[in-house]
Amino acid sequence: MNKRTAVWITGVGAATPLGNSYAAIAENLLAGRSGVRLLCGFDTSQHPSRIGGEVSAIPCPDDCQPEALGSFSRLQRLTLWCCATALQDAGWWPKRSDTRLGLVLGTGAEWLVHWEADAFAGGQRIAQPLEDNEPLVRQACRLLQLSGPAVSVSAACASGNYALAQARRWLELGWVDVCLAGACDMVMTPLSLAGFGNLRALSRRNDDPQGASRPFDRDRDGFVMGEGGAMFVLERADGARRRGARCYGEVAGNGASSDAYHMVIPSPHPEPAIAAMRQALEDARLNPQQVDYVNAHATSTPVGDVAEARVLEAVFGEALPSVPVSSTKSMTGHLLTAAAAVEAIACLVALERQALPPTINLHHPDPEIRLCHVANQAREHPVRVTVSNSFGFGGSNTCVVLKAA
Amino acid sequence: MSAPSLSAPVADEVASAILAHGALRVPARDIAALRQQPLPHPTARLSTSFLKHADEQTVVGLVAVGQALERLDRDIASVRGWGVLGAPRFLGRFALAEALRRFADEGAWGISPHLIPHRSLHALSGTVSQALGIQGPNFGVGGGPDAGTEVFTVAAALLADGCLPGLWIIMTGFEPELTPQFSTSTSDAPTEPVCSAVALALVPPPPHHSGRTLRIGGLCRRSSPTPAGQAVFRWESLIDVLTTQPLLPATRWQLSNGGWVAVELAERRVGIAHPAVESAEGSMRNCA
Repeated sequence: MNKRTAVWITGVGAATPLGNSYAAIAENLLAGRSGVRLLCGFDTSQHPSRIGGEVSAIPCPDDCQPEALGSFSRLQRLTLWCCATALQDAGWWPKRSDTRLGLVLGTGAEWLVHWEADAFAGGQRIAQPLEDNEPLVRQACRLLQLSGPAVSVSAACASGNYALAQARRWLELGWVDVCLAGACDMVMTPLSLAGFGNLRALSRRNDDPQGASRPFDRDRDGFVMGEGGAMFVLERADGARRRGARCYGEVAGNGASSDAYHMVIPSPHPEPAIAAMRQALEDARLNPQQVDYVNAHATSTPVGDVAEARVLEAVFGEALPSVPVSSTKSMTGHLLTAAAAVEAIACLVALERQALPPTINLHHPDPEIRLCHVANQAREHPVRVTVSNSFGFGGSNTCVVLKAA
Repeated sequence: MSAPSLSAPVADEVASAILAHGALRVPARDIAALRQQPLPHPTARLSTSFLKHADEQTVVGLVAVGQALERLDRDIASVRGWGVLGAPRFLGRFALAEALRRFADEGAWGISPHLIPHRSLHALSGTVSQALGIQGPNFGVGGGPDAGTEVFTVAAALLADGCLPGLWIIMTGFEPELTPQFSTSTSDAPTEPVCSAVALALVPPPPHHSGRTLRIGGLCRRSSPTPAGQAVFRWESLIDVLTTQPLLPATRWQLSNGGWVAVELAERRVGIAHPAVESAEGSMRNCA
């Protein structure tokens, strides 16, 4: 297999608490704005955490009939929006049926979300298997007229990075000519908010929603849930170059490992996560010293942020004080299954704008976490190589290297 | 904008040795008993509460892995660098129904913190990874009716990469679905749901491999309707093939994305002519 085939990101489609387009998200990330609010989509009066990063109304993609989407769930609308706008952004929309176009969709709880939403609407689909929804991936392929292979993958917070890796591999193998990859998650629901709240994993800073997600801060008290999605168009660089496509960045390296420790608690042993980062850098044929920006997984939990700092210390060693690190979850909240995909956008923004998105709410950095923080404000910085970490429930550790073409 | 020239696929077919397998069918009523002895392997170190919060499909899937481990006749540590793909089908239906009931009765405080971690699509692969101490990649695939096609598609890409020393594929599902109407306390319930699970331990085919080979191919083709007479892959039929004696020379199924998957006896591919393999596709046994 030709592993040296360069793979570019040529299109982006997204819907997040910071906006429903790459441009809007980029502006809000670099402005250090928070998309976290008091939740208003359902009654949260009994929930210990009542804040989150919600997506505003999901638009209807161009060339799609709004009335046709009327019966769609929010997750279905989100997936369709992200995929369609990514294809339109890449210039593949008119030609999508003429090429082998694959789909790798990160999604973690598709059926749970559908059953819960249906139950709260008075339905009984959970008890009637014959009434189950068409799978998201199958629906997306049908509506978007995609003819390549299509799969759903799930590694919790790391799903998006696995999706990018799988799509890159398909392109290298020649199974597809173009591939959509990313993740979508609308798991901000009454039951999931309750479950994570009862796990005592969520911030309870309900009186200060925009200040609640504070990765690396001494006073962090848990993560803030978010929802949304991001899909990317990937294609081989030679073909993209020939057609004059815009290159947001090259998917240069992927690394993955498992803690094999606990379904929820990060392992106190950083070796597997360290291995994932080193694998990604080796795959990209880069040294740690060549990294210009790290988008950390850091979710604002007391345990997780420190654990990641240890990983970064081991990987970067003496170079660590000069490698800027930020967690954009401070602005978006934790988008769970979609986190890695949305944070890849942050890396692409850094590459495009030559500026680093900040960790906001970082007023009192935890003394146990000695990193080169991009604190509270974006700053200009030469960026050619970015690294994005995502460590998911189930013990998944992933790292993707995105670099300038 | 012109379409790019279609490049010839680098690897249209991926072969791996099935080092071992596990396959079982368990009635819903019998799953609870399996929770307390999840992995009766001499080198396993799991507590009896390890699967306390796991979904029923995860329990049966891990038992299938245990069967394969016994056939492997290896220390669990020998698979530490492997990867794991878990492909359950409609995971968490029964548990979510119970959670909805508790939410209605008790509000937010009635929701177990274990609901999401153990009923998400990655729960099966994550649990197996934890049980076996596997530190390679682990993730869930599919989750719905096309889980079999999807997991073979993903597996083929990982196996073609050649970076993993081995890969576990675990597929699970209920037939009929385990719905909220089913109660283990009812002795006269209609057709009892049965959970089936199959676990495959795959490695790159070694020289002079004898035994079963898994081949996955045709993934570069565009999706198309299944050719007439060609059986569409159902992993329950894979269980039949794996447990049939004597071993079948070759069985092939169509995947729903235009590709195909086949289980063959390896010696038939290594220079030993056999009409069932050497002739056209139609002569291969199509599993109904």
